[in-house]
Amino acid sequence: MNLFRSEEHARRWPSFQAKAEHGFITLGQLAGFFGTETRRHMLDADYLSTWFPRRGAERRAYLERIGKTTPFWLGTPDP
Amino acid sequence: MADAGLMDRMFQRIMRGLVDTGVAPHYAERARALGVSVEEGRQLLHGVMEAYPIGWLHPETDYIASFPPLNNLPTQYRVTVRGEQRWFAQCGFEATSVTWLFPGETVRIDAPCPDCGDPVSVEMRDGQILWVDPPGVVGHLNYGFGASRGRPSFL
Repeated sequence: MNLFRSEEHARRWPSFQAKAEHGFITLGQLAGFFGTETRRHMLDADYLSTWFPRRGAERRAYLERIGKTTPFWLGTPDP
Repeated sequence: MADAGLMDRMFQRIMRGLVDTGVAPHYAERARALGVSVEEGRQLLHGVMEAYPIGWLHPETDYIASFPPLNNLPTQYRVTVRGEQRWFAQCGFEATSVTWLFPGETVRIDAPCPDCGDPVSVEMRDGQILWVDPPGVVGHLNYGFGASRGRPSFL
């Protein structure tokens, strides 16, 4: 999970996987994806027991909202 | 599984330690403060890492390697706060979450582009992107999420 100067730079990267052509995400979307509610409680005393367990559903909901619904993004098995 | 309250306290001490110093504390340093023996502290650490599987210990050790969004093992994602670069993010994606560990502060992320080595820089505060250089910076997921992809998720 890397940051590149542009999509062209990512495609030129020798380790770029052909299957990862749809692995791009804008910086704004990324900030949203990693800025959902649970992320704002990482310093709370009950983060591990209360907030972290909610993270998976929250991530999935965000990905669906921005249209990233493939197994590649959702972490579900390939069809 | 250890007591949930103790697990929460161990988690918080690790995260706070990383935020305050840039380095994750060793379990032996935390055990007494938590009122447990050193060995119980070690088991507690393993319990925390099991409950927080997006982080990991260095293989075959009890040393914290990654505790996202920060990394105890240096990565190319350098994090600067208040003019001090003492932190590293787990990956480029987690780097955008570090802002939530430093409320009210400007958090700067600097990394070399994996393609050309030229700089990629982002500044954030309280989740908002303040500045990006170059403006076309993008995130890229190379292997997909999920264990079925067979590669570490941070790649």
